[in-house]
Amino acid sequence: MRFIGYVFSEAFRSLWRNKLSSFLSSLTTGFALFLLGISFLVSINLGYIYTMAEEQMEIQAYIIKDATANQIATAVDQVQKIPGVSTVKYVSKEDALEELKVMFKDKASVLESLEDENPLPASIRVKTSSVEYIDKVVEEIQTMDIIDDVIYQEEVSRRMMSIGKAVQYISLGGMVAVGAVSVMVIGNSIRLTIDSKRHEIGVMKLVGATDGFIVGPFILEGMVMGIVGSILGAVFAVGIYNWLFEKIYEVIPFMPMFALDAESKLRMFGIMAITGIVVGVAGSVISVRRHLKV
Amino acid sequence: MSLLINLRNVSKDYGGTVKALESVNLEIDKGEFVFIVGPSGAGKSTLIKLLYREEVPSKGQVVVLGKDLAKLRRREVPYLRRRIGVVFQDFKLLEEKTVWENVSFALEVTGTPNREIRKRVSQVLTLVGLKDRRDAFPNELSGGEQQRIAIARALARNPDILLADEPSGNLDPKTSLEIFSLLERANMYGTTVVVATHAQEMVNLFKKRVIELRNGTVVRDERRGAYSS
Ligand SMILES: Nc1ncnc2c1ncn2[C@@H]1O[C@H](COP(=O)(O)OP(=O)(O)OP(=O)(O)O)[C@@H](O)[C@H]1O
Ligand SMILES: [Mg+2]
Repeated sequence: MRFIGYVFSEAFRSLWRNKLSSFLSSLTTGFALFLLGISFLVSINLGYIYTMAEEQMEIQAYIIKDATANQIATAVDQVQKIPGVSTVKYVSKEDALEELKVMFKDKASVLESLEDENPLPASIRVKTSSVEYIDKVVEEIQTMDIIDDVIYQEEVSRRMMSIGKAVQYISLGGMVAVGAVSVMVIGNSIRLTIDSKRHEIGVMKLVGATDGFIVGPFILEGMVMGIVGSILGAVFAVGIYNWLFEKIYEVIPFMPMFALDAESKLRMFGIMAITGIVVGVAGSVISVRRHLKV
Repeated sequence: MSLLINLRNVSKDYGGTVKALESVNLEIDKGEFVFIVGPSGAGKSTLIKLLYREEVPSKGQVVVLGKDLAKLRRREVPYLRRRIGVVFQDFKLLEEKTVWENVSFALEVTGTPNREIRKRVSQVLTLVGLKDRRDAFPNELSGGEQQRIAIARALARNPDILLADEPSGNLDPKTSLEIFSLLERANMYGTTVVVATHAQEMVNLFKKRVIELRNGTVVRDERRGAYSS
């Protein structure tokens, strides 16, 4: 109990006494974490754009003319059971014509002649939960008796798959790189703070303070600066992101951009706060240890 | 009388060819007041450092307060130091702390209860005569006053042993006398005192046990001795 009280009072006294340098350290930490936050936001956007593109990938399986309603129902059921399939939609001849009418609504008269003898085939439209499944799903559908022909964006799906991997690696790599830079920046600022307290640490050792009493307040200071830094960094990152979001939307309204929701803000703050605290604490311990050698 | 400090065949080198201490044998009993004298480089500071386990001997055995310091584990060192007060030529005060805080700090970082801290700090500041400067900062005090604070800090835990390395090194003769009188006072209250010093007049005036070092060896050990033989 004495220990906890000592650690808190000493840590906050020291933060207060060195207001300016504490603030600058928090700001440095905040800036490093801000970069980390931004790289996180870039990575969710890459992921978002990719998912959007993925969602538009659709397989169209045309059904032979003389398929019975029963056969079609069985086929839809079967397709639904193929692994990786997320939605299956049956589009009848009539539905297909309706769609066409909607698309060409100014030239409806041209289509009227089609009403008597609708040449459009019925089809099953399939979406997969991810592009990876497309090849397999198409293969299966093609073996089915009532399926005439299968159309999908083969080339696009192939490209998407390789882009998907690249997006993952780039996002992760970017965050790791920025994370490493943050660690160095924060670690260095802690090292400087603690080096400036060499003398104090020496006196503490001299009067018989145990390591816990020496390291304790530094750990708490590191933690506080990590938390303050991550709050500063998160506020800036969210602010700048929202500002950019609006600006970009004004200029390019159809640009796919991820609108920040509470959950992703929380995730971003979590990553920043954990990095800030872990680096703050670890940096303090490592730096103080160097001065503790008896 | 019980033995508080016992050095047996102690040698110390710092890795080079020079031996800071060589085959030193020394016994200091509880309640003694001892001056360590000798020319510069004789090994006085090295001897003091061995006693509070700032350094460990290269050879031989250093036993302080019944503990063989070479065998002491790292985490036991703080507990040894709590029973030993140390005073230096450069005071080693914390500039950003007040007089009171400089002394109370030593008790706080060793987990002393607040009530006890207030009582002890008040006592030792009264002892060194600086109670009314309790809110001053070190840079507002004279060298002699700063050294008295350092002594107050060293005595705060009522240590068994008080070590001083050139405590009057930066002070004029009158102030030096104040400092040595304080050390003698602490000795009268029962603390064993070991002082390494160049202050010839003080050694001659106080007539205590004198141990003279030269080139790392003990060349003289006299009861009620003088600075030089
Ligand atoms: N940390 C060290 N590293 C290397 N050599 C050292 C170290 N400390 C002391 N020495 C050497 O050990 C010898 C004894 O030094 P010490 O400081 O004990 O002498 P001293 O009697 O205290 O001298 P002074 O009166 O000048 O303070 C000297 O030759 C010194 O150069
Ligand atoms: Mg010396």
